[in-house]
Order: sequence, then C-alpha cells, then structure tokens
Amino acid sequence: MSEPILRIEHLSKVYEDGTRALSDVSFEVARGEFLVIIGLSGSGKSTLLRCINRLVTPSAGRVWVDGRDVTAASRDDLREIRRGIGMVFQQFNLVRRASVLTNVLAGRLGYVPPAWSLGNYFPAPVVDRAMQNLERVGIAEKAFGRASALSGGQQQRVGIARALMQEPRIILADEPVASLDPALSHSILKYLEDLNRKDGITILCSLHFLSLARRYGTRILALKDGAIVFDGRPGDIDEARFRAIYGERAEEVEVT
Amino acid sequence: MRPAPWYRSWRAYAGLVLAVAVYAYGWHVTQIRLGELWRGAPLIRPFVSALAHPDVVTREPAVQRASGAFYYGGEQPPPAVPGPGPALRLSRASGAAGARAAVHGDGFTPGRAGTLWWENQIGQRQPLAAFRTDAQGRFDATITAPDVQGTRNQIIAEVTTGYGPLRPSRTLVIVLDRMVETVFLALMGTTMGVIFAVPLSFLGARNLTGHLPAGGAVYALTRTVFNLARSIEALVLAIIFTVWVGLGPFAGVLALGVHSIASLGKLYSEAIESIDTGPIEAIMATGASTLQVIRYAVVPQIVPQFIAFTIYRWDINVRFSTVIGFVGGGGIGFVLQQYINLLQWPQAATALWMIALVVAALDYASAVVRERLV
Repeated sequence: MSEPILRIEHLSKVYEDGTRALSDVSFEVARGEFLVIIGLSGSGKSTLLRCINRLVTPSAGRVWVDGRDVTAASRDDLREIRRGIGMVFQQFNLVRRASVLTNVLAGRLGYVPPAWSLGNYFPAPVVDRAMQNLERVGIAEKAFGRASALSGGQQQRVGIARALMQEPRIILADEPVASLDPALSHSILKYLEDLNRKDGITILCSLHFLSLARRYGTRILALKDGAIVFDGRPGDIDEARFRAIYGERAEEVEVT
Repeated sequence: MRPAPWYRSWRAYAGLVLAVAVYAYGWHVTQIRLGELWRGAPLIRPFVSALAHPDVVTREPAVQRASGAFYYGGEQPPPAVPGPGPALRLSRASGAAGARAAVHGDGFTPGRAGTLWWENQIGQRQPLAAFRTDAQGRFDATITAPDVQGTRNQIIAEVTTGYGPLRPSRTLVIVLDRMVETVFLALMGTTMGVIFAVPLSFLGARNLTGHLPAGGAVYALTRTVFNLARSIEALVLAIIFTVWVGLGPFAGVLALGVHSIASLGKLYSEAIESIDTGPIEAIMATGASTLQVIRYAVVPQIVPQFIAFTIYRWDINVRFSTVIGFVGGGGIGFVLQQYINLLQWPQAATALWMIALVVAALDYASAVVRERLV
C-alpha cells in the first residue's frame, strides 16, 4: 500500500478555556478516500479538520500531510502545505461584499506573487482557471456579481470553486451542507463526490446526518467527546453503534 | 391570578404625582412663558416675511445724470463745460443758504420721473425736488439752497430710464463665498479626523488589541480618549482654538477635526470589531500571507463601512460648520450672525436659505452614496 496522504498520531487539543476538544486521536487516510466524520455538535469534528491545516494549533500529537509534518512546519512551509489543502466551510466564509470572481481568485493567493495580488491583479491564466472552476460548479454567469447576492447553495459552490483554485490533493469540508436546505445538500455533496472520483482528490467531510454519510462516504469516522468511537465502512454502522455515537435516545432521520 | 388594574395601584399614583412635580419644576426653571410667543410676534414678523423675499437678485437701474455747481461763501464755480447728453442750467451758481434758484434741465429721456439732489462738499446727498420731463425731455424746477456744511455744492438731476438684467445681489455673492468656505471647512475637518482616526481605531478594537501585550490597557485608554474628546462639544473646542490660533476658519477646522477623530474613531473601532472572522479563516486556509489575508479578508469588510461613516461625519460637519462662525470659527455662521445682529432680515434669509439648500443637498447625496456602499 502506498503512503497515506494524511497521518494523524495522538492528536489532542485543549482550548485556553479548558475545553478538551480532542483526546488522543490517531488515524490514517489513504489517497482517494471520501472520509466522512460524524458526531454530535461539540464532538470535535471542526477542531479535528482545523488541526489538519493548523488553523487550530494542536496541543499535542502530530499531523502529516503527504509526508510533511504540519505540526512542526515553519511559517513559510505551513503556507505551502496549506495551499495544497482546500477547505469548504459551513458558513461558506466568502467575502460577501467582493465579487464572486474575486472570491474564487482568492483561492490562488498561495501561488501568485504577493505584490501583484495586493493590487488585485491576477495573471490571465489564473482568471481563466477561475472561470473554468466557476463553470464546473455551474455559476459562471454570476462571476461579476457580488457574493452576497447569491443563495446559500450558490455561495457554497463558490466556496468549492475557491478550494479548487488551490489544485488541492485534499479538501477539508466542515459541515458543508449544515446551513443549507436539505434538498440542496445532495447537489453540493455530488460536486464533492465528483471531485473525489474524477480528480482523485481525497475528501474529509464532516456531516450531521448519518443518511448523507452513508450515501457519500467510502469510510466513516465517528467522534464522541473528542475521541474516535467508530472507524469503518458505512455499512457497518448498525443500531447499537448508532446509539453509541449519538446517545441512547437518538433516532435516525433520513434526508432525501 | 389577573394583575390588578393600574388604577388600583398606589405606585401608579405616586408615579403620577412625581411626574407632575418634575414637569412643574422643569416649566419653572426653563422659564416657559407661552404668552411671549404672542407678545413677541411683531418683532419676528419682518424676519418671517423676509424669508419669502431673500436678498438674492438685483437689477442695476440705468440712470441719466446731469449736475451744476452751486457755491457758498462768495466763491464762484468754474464755468460749466457743455457736453453731449443731458445738461442742467441754473439761474445762479453761487449764494447762501436760503437762496432760491431756478433749475432748467434739457436732453433727458421724455416723460420720465426724476429727482433733484443737493450734494455737499463731502458727497452727502439730500433730495430737493421731484420732477417729470416733458415731451421734449426738458423740465423746470425751483429750489431753495439748504443749510449745509462746506461751500462747494452740486445740484444733481437723476432720471431712471429703466433697469438692467437680473444679476446676483452682493449678499448672494458674499453668502455663496462663505458657503464654499463652510463646505471646505467641513471637508478639511473631516479629513483631519480620518487621518488620525483610522490608525487609532485599530487600537480601539477589542478583537485586535486582544492579541497585543497590554492590549487591554491600550484598548481602554483609546476608548477613554475617544469618549472624553467626544463629550466636549465642537463649539466649545472652537472657542478654545480661536484663542489658540486666532479667529477664522482654521480654528473651525481644528475644532471639527478633534471632534471627528473621536467620533470616527469610535465608529471605525466598532466596524473593525464587527468583522466576520469566517473569511479570515478561509483566506488563511488557502496559504495566503498575513498581508494577503488583510487585503482580501479584512479590508473588503471594513472599507465600505469606513467610507459610509466618513461621509456621514462630513455631512454632520457641514451642518455644524454653519454655526461654528458664531464663535469666530469661520464659515457662513459669521455673516449670518452679523445680519441678524444688524436686523438685516432679507440678507439673513439669504444665508438661511443657502444653509438649508446646501445641507439638504449634501444630506441627500450622502444618503445615496451610503446606500450604495453598505
């Protein structure tokens, strides 16, 4: 088996206010997996994803992405590692007052010469690529409108196009459909599935609904109180495991 | 259980009595005498009617003029040199006060009313008689030489033949000039405010100072300075600055500037505190440098708000600079106060209309611009 694209060893995170978000989490992700992370709110899903690109600095443990140690990386190395990891957010995190195109181009900031980018100048090939990525998510015609004018589903597609500008080997998706109408969830997740299958991008995606996790994940990781309570294939989550993850009184609902 | 109706509660009556006492005392200390509104109405009536007739335009009269000398004290004037146009012929050219003389005028426009003036040696005039020219443009009148100082007098006949085109009055020119000064006074004061408020506002934003060593102290100090400076009215600042740099618009600029630093600083700080951290996180995740994060995630969020607040402040400053002249801080307030003090109501009305129009226009323009930005 080839080297895993992501390796996490004994990762722990305790926030300054004493909250223990992750305790001793270890796992590996192989190239091309669609790993879905499930768990209740506050189980550590967001913290885990943010430790991978060090938006959150871990308290202990190590993270390797593509063989490079993220936890020990210098500032410049960290920037270079980060640009290979796309990220999609629950609240989309677009600059709402800027144009859609500018938001997408911002995904390329790790590559372009800094002085040029400060003047909002991007080389023509980069702009072309941004338009291609917008076309891929089906909103090229909105390129020159403001991001705030888009619906939630459209904003999330801009978020995906922005991540694509990084030519990522991994995409971290933090509850990408939790702010959306359930009917839109599939359209967003299908884009991620398409990137996973056609482009071979490894996806780590946290989701609320088990039904969505089963439908899209090639592998499911469940967190409870910052620790892994399940790691396996979607089909292996039975009633007992479900209750172990979500608590005794939980009932599964379907999102169609 | 249903609560008792209000009129069953003694608290309601106590509150009512307290309110009556407070307002009665307030009525007393502020010396409200509604009768004065009625009694003083005649005093303010000329002003109200002047509002309908501001001194805005004027027409220059076209005047035909002819004169002849009349000397006192035995001195004889030099003989008149006949020229083209209207002329005066006097039955005598010298004498003493009380002497009578016949005046004959010739060469005027026929059928017009005119006035005969007596002008003394230092150019002071008094009317002598009114006349009307006949079909040949002549008139005859008899005058009595008045008792005046000096010896070399002139008798002047003036006939108004018509009026020239409408042109802006002197008052309008002065008021316009001062209004331009007022608008620029506000602009310079606002600019001064912006230049200092932008860097200071970063120190007054809790979300930024939180990461600095002693950030809490910096934040508290900045905010305290803002609040103190804001609590001093700009009019008071203007008085202080006129003492410092002398009367004139510069004192006004400084007063508005200091006040604007404080108000803008507070507004800017709050704008910075309210930025969404999501885009910052997202841009950081792309591998962008700190400068790029500021350029792409922070600046787009705060600049439109900064501009909107600045226009809003300029708007307030224009309004304020119209009164800063009352204390010698320059601008239109200075002439407005003069007109009011001299009871020159039509001129005061011109200044007031000018203020109303310019302030309303800027108010509207700034609202439109702000709407587009935010």
